[in-house]
Amino acid sequence: MTTTELSNRSDPIVVFTDLSVELTGYDRVELAGTGLIEQHYDTLLRLIGEREAGHLLQAAAEALDADRKNHNGEALRTRVIESKLYGPVIISLIKLWYLGSWYPLPGSYADVNGSTAGDVEHVVSAQAYREGLVWSAAGAHPMGAKAPGWGSWAEAPALPSA
Amino acid sequence: MHENLVTVSGGKSGSMKTTGTQTGGVQPSGGGKEHFDIVIVGGGIAGATVAKTVIEQAATRSPARHPRILILEAGRATAMSADKYDTYVQSYQQALAKVPNSPYPPTVSAPQPDVLDISRPVMGEDGTTKIPADNGYFVQMGPLPFGSDYARALGGTTLHWLGTCLRLLPNDFRMDTEYGRGVDWPITYDELKPYYERAEWDIIGVSADVGHQYYPGIGGDPAKYFKSKNTGKFPDGVYHFPMEEIPSSFLDEYLAKKSAGLVVTLKGDLGREYTFPIKISNTPVGRNSTPTPGYQPVGAVGNADQGQRCEGNSSCIPICPVQAKYNALKTLYELIVKYPDREPREGEKEKARVAVRSQCMASNVEHTQLPKKQGTVTGITYLKYSDDGSPPVRATVTADVYVLAANAIENATLLLASKAANSSGEVGRNLMDHPLLLTWGLLEDNAGAYRGPGSTSGIPAFRDGPHRSERTAFRVEIGNWGWNFPENAPYDTVHDLVGGAGTGTAQLYGRALRKRLGEILPNQFRIAWELEQDPEPTNRVTIDERYKDSLGMYRPVIHYDLSEYVRASLPWAAEASRQLFERLGIGAEVRRPEYKPGDYTHWDANDPSAVTYDGQTYWVRGAGHVVGTHRMGEDPEHSVVDGYQRSHDLPNLFIVGCGSMPTLGTSNPTLTMTALAIRTGDHIAAQLPTHTAAQPKEKKDA
Repeated sequence: MTTTELSNRSDPIVVFTDLSVELTGYDRVELAGTGLIEQHYDTLLRLIGEREAGHLLQAAAEALDADRKNHNGEALRTRVIESKLYGPVIISLIKLWYLGSWYPLPGSYADVNGSTAGDVEHVVSAQAYREGLVWSAAGAHPMGAKAPGWGSWAEAPALPSA
Repeated sequence: MHENLVTVSGGKSGSMKTTGTQTGGVQPSGGGKEHFDIVIVGGGIAGATVAKTVIEQAATRSPARHPRILILEAGRATAMSADKYDTYVQSYQQALAKVPNSPYPPTVSAPQPDVLDISRPVMGEDGTTKIPADNGYFVQMGPLPFGSDYARALGGTTLHWLGTCLRLLPNDFRMDTEYGRGVDWPITYDELKPYYERAEWDIIGVSADVGHQYYPGIGGDPAKYFKSKNTGKFPDGVYHFPMEEIPSSFLDEYLAKKSAGLVVTLKGDLGREYTFPIKISNTPVGRNSTPTPGYQPVGAVGNADQGQRCEGNSSCIPICPVQAKYNALKTLYELIVKYPDREPREGEKEKARVAVRSQCMASNVEHTQLPKKQGTVTGITYLKYSDDGSPPVRATVTADVYVLAANAIENATLLLASKAANSSGEVGRNLMDHPLLLTWGLLEDNAGAYRGPGSTSGIPAFRDGPHRSERTAFRVEIGNWGWNFPENAPYDTVHDLVGGAGTGTAQLYGRALRKRLGEILPNQFRIAWELEQDPEPTNRVTIDERYKDSLGMYRPVIHYDLSEYVRASLPWAAEASRQLFERLGIGAEVRRPEYKPGDYTHWDANDPSAVTYDGQTYWVRGAGHVVGTHRMGEDPEHSVVDGYQRSHDLPNLFIVGCGSMPTLGTSNPTLTMTALAIRTGDHIAAQLPTHTAAQPKEKKDA
């Protein structure tokens, strides 16, 4: 662990990235390779509100710190994923990374936190669709993009190692 | 309906209001109507094929004839360059529901059917329609909704077809004689065969291997079925396709190994047993592959280097990003580049001229026909709309020969609205599709789903045989895109695994989620059992004063059902699927959100496409094969067009497209439509009057 990385840990976008790594099972390099870390970060802030996003990232940063010390993912699971407050947002965030679409938060969440105009089902961007993690998890490629080439479909399938 | 319609030429349109100023409309020459040799309604594959064929054939006449042709397209122009085409790919990627029409926006003035609009009309106890389902473009009168769509845009529905190019089987042309079902065609397979060859070589560009076409009903020898009379091109008549077959998918090969030797046994009426040896057959497709010597694949419109071979984009429906798959824009592009609509420049030889006008809605076929008599078409009236707030501009054009090529349903509504070509009363009747039953399962092994063209192989065993006298034939299409069609996968798979809908807590995330998706998604597969629908006069397109669109055009009002003959094949397809799944080791019934190898097929009663037969519910989807509304035949009493697709009533009118097919067989109809259009094109070229169309004056304000 370098000092630079340690000092960056409070940077919200670094927290967002570390959280995304834990939620998706894709490492930092793979997520950076999508070119979407900043776009998804902005989308989160825009669609749940900056105050709520700030609270979520604060809780995530603390939980991730605890998990680093304890070498497990318990804190993230109990304090963020299973949290009544953050759980629904986590579900939408996982789907955002995997599918490139935003799925709206449940009414019970909105009753407490309000909702934004953009909190409806939509494809966030063509790039978010193309970079959806589901395709590589399937050992495939996004339908209508990143063509794997002539005859590739006849080859034996292989899953990129997780 | 626009009240302030602008009329720019005379003709039989005096009943419409003429107000407003004349701006930007079609300028007629000398106050008369523009005249062409041929006017074609519809800028899709049928119209483009007729135009290209007539031009090429008429040029070989002595003396040569160079017709001037106008193509009127109701929808928007699409893209004639690669950069503009890319915007449609982007539109697909950004679409929430990636349905066939998702890349192609409709216009307010030329609405198009959409599979998202399919809902079920409410029927009364007496079988009449109580509440039609009219939330989309179609007015569905039921009892079943017609489940298919088409695209109203330049290029037509080939923009989002899969590209399957199966010829009909010989018995498909003689269903009445052979099986006492449906009707015979006025032409035979052998008569159509040379046109199939030209469709495969000169228009679409088909990739296939003759030796891998294991069809029933061809005497067991594909070489004989494909044997060509064109021995100049194919020595000894040994036919080959212009391009080698598209490689079969890993899934196809997996299924072939697992099902080797399987013989499906099905029980028919009176306890009779029918056996079907299962053999997986690579499917001919209009998708570029490795060319055979002498053939040049046609790449993307405006960028020929792109799309020379399929790259495996896995999105043939709704859009091939590189245009390795044929679409009618390719033929239209060739026409407007080779035959621009202008006077020959100095030193240029005289040649044909093609004008393509989009956003021109044909509103009336002008004619002199009296009831039960022959007549003549005297013009096509159309509305040129702009969707910019200004009123549409009406014009009438005249020609020596008129061609309707606007899709089976649109041809029918235009003819009905014009009270034309219908002394048989058959216009709009015998609407057919391939009612499609899906079955799907999770394989024990990774079969590499979500890779490659939508389908690369099928099981042809059920396409012909003695069972057709008691129940309909069907084609079996193996799908390469997992459960994309039946279960909206991979989306719904992700929803299932992440879970948390009730609890707000993700069930699976991180590495566990990634790993599980890798265990499930590539193991998904589905099969489409596409049933031949028989022609029934009660399955029909009609028009009704109460249902018009914003331009005042009649919306298609559709009555649709499945006959007993079709329904009797539903349990057969389901049983054949059961036997196949059993052999694949996935016979056990399983349901989402549980995931383990098994048969996931389920048909719930609350679906708009639910059909009940013998106490069992099935889902019957549309295949997008819109066929049979102006059937061809020898007898003018019972058919709309003759074997050349010429109207019995109006001899200077040709009504072309899938609507002319008297029966459907089990082949996706585009290849047959194209072969028929070439035959029509030859016929028109031979009969074009020798004079040339009057050239209009140049537009002053153009």
